[in-house]
Amino acid sequence: MSVQVSLTQTSHAHHWETSVAPFAVVAGIFLALPLGFSAYFVYQNTLLTIALLGIGVPLLVFGVARWTTEGLTHAPLVPGLSLIAMPVFIVSEAFIFLALFATYWLTRLTTEAWPPAGSPDMPVGLPLIMTVLLVSSSVTIHFAEEKLEHGDTKGFIKPLVQTLVLGGLFLGCTVYEYSHLFAHHFTPGTNSFGMIFFTVTGFHASHVFLGLAAFVAVLLPALKGRTSTTFLKCVSIYWHFVDVIWFFVVSQIYFW
Amino acid sequence: MSDFKLTEWIFTTDHKRVGILYLIGSLAAFGVAGCAAVYIRLNQLSPSGGLFSDPQNYNIALYFHGAAMILAFLIPGLTGFFANYLVPLMIGARDVAFPRINAFSVWLFFAAIVLALISLMVSDGPDVMWTGYPPYSVTTVGNTAFYVFTVHLLGFSSILGAVNFLVTILYMRAKGMGFNQMNIFVWTVLGAFVLQLIFIPVLASAVTMLLFDKYLGTHFFDPTGGGDVLLYQNLFWFYSHPAVYVILLPAMGVLFEVISTMAKNRVFNYKACVYGGVFGLILLSGEVWVHHLYVAGMPNWLRTGQMVTTLLISVPVGLMVISLWGTLYRAAITYNVAMHYACACLFLLLVGGLTGIPLAMTVLDLHLGETAFIHAHFHFVMALFATFSIFSGIYFWFPKMTGRVADSKPALIGFWLNFVGVTMTFTPLFIIGMQGMPRRYATYEQFPQFEPYHQMATLGAMVVVVGMLLTFYSWINGAIRGPKAAENHWRSKSLEWTHAPSPPGPGNFPGQDPEVAKEWTPYDYAR
Repeated sequence: MSVQVSLTQTSHAHHWETSVAPFAVVAGIFLALPLGFSAYFVYQNTLLTIALLGIGVPLLVFGVARWTTEGLTHAPLVPGLSLIAMPVFIVSEAFIFLALFATYWLTRLTTEAWPPAGSPDMPVGLPLIMTVLLVSSSVTIHFAEEKLEHGDTKGFIKPLVQTLVLGGLFLGCTVYEYSHLFAHHFTPGTNSFGMIFFTVTGFHASHVFLGLAAFVAVLLPALKGRTSTTFLKCVSIYWHFVDVIWFFVVSQIYFW
Repeated sequence: MSDFKLTEWIFTTDHKRVGILYLIGSLAAFGVAGCAAVYIRLNQLSPSGGLFSDPQNYNIALYFHGAAMILAFLIPGLTGFFANYLVPLMIGARDVAFPRINAFSVWLFFAAIVLALISLMVSDGPDVMWTGYPPYSVTTVGNTAFYVFTVHLLGFSSILGAVNFLVTILYMRAKGMGFNQMNIFVWTVLGAFVLQLIFIPVLASAVTMLLFDKYLGTHFFDPTGGGDVLLYQNLFWFYSHPAVYVILLPAMGVLFEVISTMAKNRVFNYKACVYGGVFGLILLSGEVWVHHLYVAGMPNWLRTGQMVTTLLISVPVGLMVISLWGTLYRAAITYNVAMHYACACLFLLLVGGLTGIPLAMTVLDLHLGETAFIHAHFHFVMALFATFSIFSGIYFWFPKMTGRVADSKPALIGFWLNFVGVTMTFTPLFIIGMQGMPRRYATYEQFPQFEPYHQMATLGAMVVVVGMLLTFYSWINGAIRGPKAAENHWRSKSLEWTHAPSPPGPGNFPGQDPEVAKEWTPYDYAR
């Protein structure tokens, strides 16, 4: 199958296309993440960290908002290519997790007693609840998609909000679990189980957070009546991927 | 240039302008990393440390030279500048699939350059080579975080570039253009981005764990805390060996375009080159990384296995090289500056490739692996080859980008100085490497007999400096005062020359979208 370059493109041919959004997002990321992290963890300068985050995060939010608006109002050269691009991007994401799991398997198989001394007993109920939350959020987002595809631009908001709530509860469980473990002095530095546990679940949780942020970017314009099926579909492909990764996290980290 | 608007460049989403931004950034990185190389060479002028004697500064120069040349010059120059500027033009598209993501990629790249430059200014700059091996990178007082974030920013930039270009190449080709009618350059970009997409995430994970080890108290790479120090080296080279092919593939692609046009000849063995060469490299490049770890303590079955795959990978590379040489066969060759660089590439690749064979063999590598021999080998096969290919491409597409020609006396003299200079610099390193000159050392007081060789190498580096200044002069002068170029200056058959004006405006192609006939190829010189 091949999508051909269409004649509508000639309308682009008269002026140089520009957008403020990409530059703003990069500036925001750059100030908030590399510089913010270094200011706090390397140079232990709290004031500088707050200043960097204070400039970086609003820039980032502004850039994303602008980008979303442009994406919803400008016609792309060839429509629908995002639905191909997202799975391609996910290949890359999968390799991040593959590298982390490879590290885990290698560490575990070369350690004599697992879990190593100092590890607490892991809860059984909590990961099951989290699994139920995440799987049901994948179902609700599927309903949202179906509604939007049938042109129900108002009705899809309800299942979208349900997804946001379920995802939010999932993150809440993670926060609860982490604070509980920290209280029992189990941290990333405790032993090799600690470092694996917090790194893998932390990476996964950050993906959940990103997915939720993307859903908010779908929701806010939708409240004003601006929707895009492609946009929603892209984010939900990503969401399903995050869901699949969770099965690996649960089966490998909690129940093995 | 009369209607130049700065904001139109900073906020541009046009693939050609994004490409030019990549070119500016990567050449700037090349300049600074080149200065670091000069610093290194001057340091080696005498056994006790030459003009400079601070080993910490020497380490930072090694770090910056390697990291910036590979990550901020070669990869962005080839997969950033050339891919951006040329791929949409060559396949007959009006832009890439996601122009805003493209602009996002280029600014991530600039953010990484800014971070690398900041790391030269802080008092605790990273001193961990471009490899960042633990335990040193975890225990050093140097700022390993900047190294990690530089890799993150560039990696994220490249992954998004990969997604963008893979979709563009697969779905936005001109009407009628089949896969076997694509320029070889487009194929090589496709191959390079498949590798980026798959392997960069592994490096990103590895350096993230390094960051956690140093700043958050984990022990991923610390055996005393239950970690494995060799794991980092495996993960690092699992990306960084394919990275060599991320550079080699588009560099080869540029040569195919230059050589076939200047020889006015079809590409010899097109299908063997694409389906054997490019696909072979994609398949094999992920199975050879252990040849970087022959002396690190890997199990024998793995070393032997990857010795075989390493030797085997010369087959796809060989197929591509045969196609390059075959394209010259019975051709009417025009020797302009671009073609001089392209021919030099054939020589550099031959020297670099042949010296790679002994290094692939475990028994020989045990002796040569940590010596200057390696140093000379990878400079020939990767650094010099790819740099000369980039220069060849810049001279070749200069009329397309500026509407003017950069070929001139200074350009040609610059070429010869560069070519003679790099050969002078790296040939002596083969000789002293075989005799045991270790890599990376700031001083070599225990080997005073190598001093004349090092002096010759340093002299060669000085010749290159003059050559580079002439080269840069020829570009700046060419862009401002060079003779006006004809529309299709080299009488090429490829779409970027036949269908787009020089330089192309917004939307690339005036009037109708390009369409190609069933029997059309970009190398159709016989007709």
